[in-house]
Amino acid sequence: MPTELLGFIIGCMFGMSLFLAGLAEPDKIVGTLRLKDFHVMRVIAVFVLVGMLGTWILEMAGAANLDVKPAAVVSVLIGGALLGIGFGLTGYCPGTGLACAAAGRLDAAVAVVGMLVGALLYIVTYPAVAAPLDELANYGKVMLPEVTGIPRAVWVIVLCAIGAVVLALTSRKRTVAA
Amino acid sequence: MAQNVVRKPPLDWLAGGLLLGLVQVAAIGLAKPLGVSTQFVVADTKLLDAAAPDYVTAHKLISSDKYRKLGYGWWLDIGIIVGAAVAALATRRWRVQTSTVWWSETRGPGAASRMVACFIGGMFILLGARLAHGCTSGQFASGWAQLTLAAVPFTITLFGFAMLTAMIVYPKTPRIES
Repeated sequence: MPTELLGFIIGCMFGMSLFLAGLAEPDKIVGTLRLKDFHVMRVIAVFVLVGMLGTWILEMAGAANLDVKPAAVVSVLIGGALLGIGFGLTGYCPGTGLACAAAGRLDAAVAVVGMLVGALLYIVTYPAVAAPLDELANYGKVMLPEVTGIPRAVWVIVLCAIGAVVLALTSRKRTVAA
Repeated sequence: MAQNVVRKPPLDWLAGGLLLGLVQVAAIGLAKPLGVSTQFVVADTKLLDAAAPDYVTAHKLISSDKYRKLGYGWWLDIGIIVGAAVAALATRRWRVQTSTVWWSETRGPGAASRMVACFIGGMFILLGARLAHGCTSGQFASGWAQLTLAAVPFTITLFGFAMLTAMIVYPKTPRIES
């Protein structure tokens, strides 16, 4: 299968899932960030844990196509903070912004235009900002099992246990009426 | 018009999370982990290629093929748009909307303030995502699926700043359908 077609099919499944699961729903995102509506937190917990378990199994079978991002700690901390501000302000991120615009939300379409301007800012400032920031405290494309010497199996089991606790703690007050 | 109630998403948290997790596992098994934000830089590069080709070829980052070719990742983002539109139509939830329930609970029914916030928020989102080498998909969801070191600092600032911003921007809680 041509990679373009594969990308399109996986993208379709991802876009559908984002919408059906309620992640492409800024009100549900903000509700979770305000700790008033735990639906999204629970979806994300399952999403991440299934991804983690599946990757572990694929890796044992030698069939995982990994793509590890560099641990450029300073860039990642600053970028995460900026993204967090935009995410908390709008309830959108790049994927859900596209999905929400496609579902008829005009404010999401405006956010997507803002994202294109943000990408342009990144390009224009790259030589002066992003490139030097990337050199600071950059530990390379590494994963937790190799950095800590703790096997992947232990990481997966411990994080699944933490996830189970999160799911249990949020199960009673999934929604809170104002 | 929208009554001020946050609607229940089409799927419950478990089904939604499982679906998203399985899409991630399929992506890692067949191609590579999910990621969205790089393609915003690709879109800008295409525009710059038409407007100022010399700038592109001399640029430290966007002169590379990764940003000049429309490949797997580009078609994945197009797929997100198509998939979300199909899901919204199939569930009879496709609707032109200009604001959100949480936003109008605090700021009233007008859409102008929401549009401005979304444009500015969008700039923060993409600039941050690219500085961090990934967004909520590529750096957070895919990072934890693979257990990367970069996911740890990213998660801390992303959710820390998102929760703080949401607390300031959305002080009033609307009614949430359970």
